[in-house]
Amino acid sequence: MSKKKKQGTNLLYDMIAEASAYDDVIVMGRGDPDFDTPAHIVDAAKDAMVNHHADYSPPEGLLALREAIAERVKRVNNIDVDADTEVVVTNGGQEALFLMVVAANGPGDEMIVPEPNYTTYADSLAFAGGVKVEVQAFAENDFRADPADVRAAVSDESRSLLLVSPNNPAANVISPEDMREMLGIAIEHDLIVLADDIYDLFVYDDFEHLSPASLPGGKERTLTLNALSKAYSMTGWRLGWIVGPADLMARVRELKAAISGGTSVISQYAGIAALTGPQDAVEMMAEAYRRRRRLVLDALDEMGMAYGVPQGGQFVFADISFTGLDSGELAQRILSEQHVLAYPGSAFSKDRKDYLRMTFLQPEEKLREGLERMKVAMADIMAERQ
Amino acid sequence: MTSKTKRDVLEKHRDNANLNAPSPAQVMFSQNDLGADGLIRPLDERIIAATVEALESGQTHYVDVPGIAPLRDAVADYLREFSGAAYEQGNIVITAGMQESRFLTIQMIGAQFDSIGVPEAVHPGARKALGTRARKVATLPVDASAGYLSSVESVDAAVAGGCRLLFLESPSRLSGAVYSGEQVAAIGEIVNEKDGAVIWDQGLAPWVDGDYASLAAQDGEAARVATIGEAFPGMGLASWFIGFIAAPEAWVAPMQSQKQIQSICTSTASQYGALEASQLFGAARGQQLASLRQIRSRLSQLASEGDLDVLRGAAANIIALRMESGSEAALATLRAAGYEATDGAFFGAPDVVRLNVTNTTADALRALV
Ligand SMILES: Cc1ncc(COP(=O)(O)O)c(C=O)c1O
Repeated sequence: MSKKKKQGTNLLYDMIAEASAYDDVIVMGRGDPDFDTPAHIVDAAKDAMVNHHADYSPPEGLLALREAIAERVKRVNNIDVDADTEVVVTNGGQEALFLMVVAANGPGDEMIVPEPNYTTYADSLAFAGGVKVEVQAFAENDFRADPADVRAAVSDESRSLLLVSPNNPAANVISPEDMREMLGIAIEHDLIVLADDIYDLFVYDDFEHLSPASLPGGKERTLTLNALSKAYSMTGWRLGWIVGPADLMARVRELKAAISGGTSVISQYAGIAALTGPQDAVEMMAEAYRRRRRLVLDALDEMGMAYGVPQGGQFVFADISFTGLDSGELAQRILSEQHVLAYPGSAFSKDRKDYLRMTFLQPEEKLREGLERMKVAMADIMAERQ
Repeated sequence: MTSKTKRDVLEKHRDNANLNAPSPAQVMFSQNDLGADGLIRPLDERIIAATVEALESGQTHYVDVPGIAPLRDAVADYLREFSGAAYEQGNIVITAGMQESRFLTIQMIGAQFDSIGVPEAVHPGARKALGTRARKVATLPVDASAGYLSSVESVDAAVAGGCRLLFLESPSRLSGAVYSGEQVAAIGEIVNEKDGAVIWDQGLAPWVDGDYASLAAQDGEAARVATIGEAFPGMGLASWFIGFIAAPEAWVAPMQSQKQIQSICTSTASQYGALEASQLFGAARGQQLASLRQIRSRLSQLASEGDLDVLRGAAANIIALRMESGSEAALATLRAAGYEATDGAFFGAPDVVRLNVTNTTADALRALV
């Protein structure tokens, strides 16, 4: 079967379409947790349909939800925000991301982006007419972006610095020490920091997540996004937020009003239940991801794949250069031959053709089966090379 | 903190008049808030049941970017049956509400044209969408006596002047005025001749009393028209933020890419709610329209008895008044009596106030008389 060479999101959509045609497919591609949303959150949505279905919500969101968010970012991230003026609720982390990038960057402005990174950042920056300045990181350093490289990337046009920690796809967590240095660079060169904390509840081993907005001098120049999608298995609800200093947030609010107006109140009430209700489901899911991560890493070790140790998040980004195949070809073969969907690194960056992204977002039995099938595919590929 | 970067960012935004255009609230705050775009309506139990069933059966994950297939079908069916426009599933993008529909069409279709023509009186959401990225805008004059629509002559002049993309509302979101079948045919011809395109907001069309002419239903026009609106209005989903775009497939592609970039997909609860609403819409709309029509004709009578100048409008869900003393004085009077109305100045018509047609509107009108 010959396939036209496609790139980025289109390539992924073709692969997703192919995957959905296989009854026995094992999906280790899309960043969509396999768990359904916890029942008490669905119940809260039902209650909202009965009692609050026509509630008025301003573009920035219901105050009760903004208060729950303010409490959450204080408790988890040590960021102090005023629920009235410093929180905007969004259609998922994705809308938060787009708003944040467009609020901070205009035509010709440079955004410094540690790579690899979540590609929507580049797409959003392109909408704004900004220019991406890449700082590369690699598997051998567990994808640590070196603050010295970030400093070297600063120019007169630099406007913002993107810090996604834990990262997608690289799963790196910026260490507290590096984070302090990154913020120092931002202060020294007067950059706006765009922080993406969406995976902040998933940090492994002894690694530590630190929000730049919690540091002295951080909050006043930092927009921080988060969402319920990953932590509460709520990807379909489209609920996220941005917190930041009141002056920048007033602009974010206007942009939100211009891009989509408000956010569904049903999702917002579900969000209040998620943030203020029992947290045991989150802990259960986090524990499952810890176990699955171990499972995946052990299997990759067996296959002889090098990878950046995932310090956080829900992925592993593995080096497949030893196969001699381009990641697109490799991912396609694993999909067609073994019905396992993993994402090619080339979907994240043209410089990452040697990588494959796998998620931990399948039940353990399935994950095990998927990894066994990958071993078969890899063995076949390596046998052909002999 | 003295941050030059931040000062620059804030100034750039502050100077962006389009982006900062004040806008009506999207949903009524209370029964006395007659100024919001969305009405408080009861929610049918069947909509709740179907939505809960979807959520409980695990529809809590990402879904297709342009929307779930059955809802796209339902919107295409609705447009075909209701306004005769030949759209299919592949032409439909489900959005997170009317403003996302405006934003995606104005920015993504807009990117394929040099400039966009926008009536001088238009819903401010259109201006806000324009403010997110610099666009060359041609302002089309409007005719107050025609309910603030731009005349066919103004459309012709703009297109002849090289502006090949237009944003038009019918019904007008300010007055409820609609283009007649003849006018719609003329607009179609003008646009066709210059290989132009139109973003056509027909969100208020379900409330039109009598015949409604949709531009996309004109011969051959569906290929150059993007039709936008709320998905199944009046069904109690205003706060669920669900809208649609219907457009030729070549335009769907860039809008779908941008939808992925800005929100991945639309909330599943809203989509399954709208899907059930699509089943109930036909019957519910008939009843609502009859009741709105009755209330509105009483309001018109009240207004004429009180010497108030009612703008020409065919949509039964709103009534707009031209106030000689300007909108501000009228709004202050209404507010003193406990009512909110829409400030026409937000739309570009500073002597107009708009009121939603509900059971409380008559009392509000009495305060103005
Ligand atoms: C780093 C990062 N930020 C933001 C998002 C957006 O997530 P959502 O819109 O589902 O909340 C994602 C989704 O994969 C992500 O990986």
